[in-house]
Amino acid sequence: MLQIIASIWQKYGYVYIQGAWGTIYIAVLTVLIGTLLGTLLAFLRLTRSRILQAVIRLYVWILRGTPALLQIYFFYFFVPKYLPFEMSERACIMMALVVNASAYVEEIIRAGIQAVDRGQTEAARSLGMTARHTMTHIILPQAIKNILPALGNEFIVMIKEASLASIFFIVEITSAFKTVQSATFITIPALVISGGLYLLLTTVLSFFMKLAERRLQVND
Amino acid sequence: MIDRTKELIVVKDLYKSYGKLQVLRGIDQTIFEGEVVSIIGASGSGKSTFLRCLNLLEVPDSGSIVFDGQEITGKKVNIDAYRQRIGMVFQHFNVFPHLKVIDNITVTPCLEKKMDKAKAVSLAEDLLRRVGLYDKRDEYPTKLSGGQKQRLAIVRALAMEPQVILFDEPTSALDPEMVKEVLDVIGELARSGMTILIVTHEMGFAKKVSDRVLFIDEGQIVEQGTPEEVFENTQTERCRDFLNKVLY
Repeated sequence: MLQIIASIWQKYGYVYIQGAWGTIYIAVLTVLIGTLLGTLLAFLRLTRSRILQAVIRLYVWILRGTPALLQIYFFYFFVPKYLPFEMSERACIMMALVVNASAYVEEIIRAGIQAVDRGQTEAARSLGMTARHTMTHIILPQAIKNILPALGNEFIVMIKEASLASIFFIVEITSAFKTVQSATFITIPALVISGGLYLLLTTVLSFFMKLAERRLQVND
Repeated sequence: MIDRTKELIVVKDLYKSYGKLQVLRGIDQTIFEGEVVSIIGASGSGKSTFLRCLNLLEVPDSGSIVFDGQEITGKKVNIDAYRQRIGMVFQHFNVFPHLKVIDNITVTPCLEKKMDKAKAVSLAEDLLRRVGLYDKRDEYPTKLSGGQKQRLAIVRALAMEPQVILFDEPTSALDPEMVKEVLDVIGELARSGMTILIVTHEMGFAKKVSDRVLFIDEGQIVEQGTPEEVFENTQTERCRDFLNKVLY
């Protein structure tokens, strides 16, 4: 088995490396843009506007209640038809993943902010601090400790969820397995290599997350 | 020290309810500058709600609050500016855990009064010395005991140079051996001429430092007067009942 894996890696290593870069590219961009969008949504939801709250609740309800794969099909088949410009297949799929991630990030950030004790807001406001300064100087610095670990988990989820793009033969780690498997007709060893790459990525990411968490917890 | 010519807080006909529960049912009260007023009463009687209405942490349903000649219950009032002049100390301290002791004190003066950082720091250091916390200036609050946290909360409020401080059961969450150090600070503040309203269950303390005691029951001020009048010469049945239960 190890021999087969070694020989596959020797011949098709570049396919896997390309796949790994594809996965990293999709996950990083999806998490970045998804986090920006999710943060925006979280703040909109925390404003007092009833209409905005209802719209965002609906958005989150749909995206968390349906499979990511279904959402990818939707963006793959329908969205390009109604857009005035051309979009690559990969862009369509990433758009779906971004929208999906934004719903989870919105929940993570909103929950992180709401988990900060109400007394903190009351104390800051009773001193005469404005609502904006209370958010930026008192609440967010504390909320970030709740938010960051959950955001890191979302990153790991995205690395794995990017595998859904293999259905459309977008270059990433699971597609790399398919490519190698169809070229060599060797299945299990080819799969093991893909699995190993996923583990490598998620382990490295977990390591950095732990590091970041520990730094944040210095004054706890 | 009480300036009977200067009405600092004038409350008229204050009402507040949560859903069907009427918490405040017509409170009228005038607090003069330099006065130390204790508010006593059973849990759920509305005394904390009354206090929290004074800086609009709770918004009253009706009635008016005039602070230093200005109505603050109106729609167009910049409440942040008034809250800077009305300090508050909470039962659960609510110190900022992510900021060092010194920054807990300086953050608001720097942000909202545009105070020079160096000036804010020296003011904060003076305050810390006054309450015996100077050596903790660079610690995070998690390293402090309950009593130390509450003393920090008091000087954090003082750093805004308020005209009155509201204390909402400041010793109720403390271990017994830490109550005195906090009461000592409040007592010293009272003697310095600061206007103080304090909701408290420490009857001995209320007796000692107050110019006036208010007894609140079911959302109304049922009895008020000097500590001697309220504690020794109680007029109402309800207040006598309450005192019989808490004094031993």
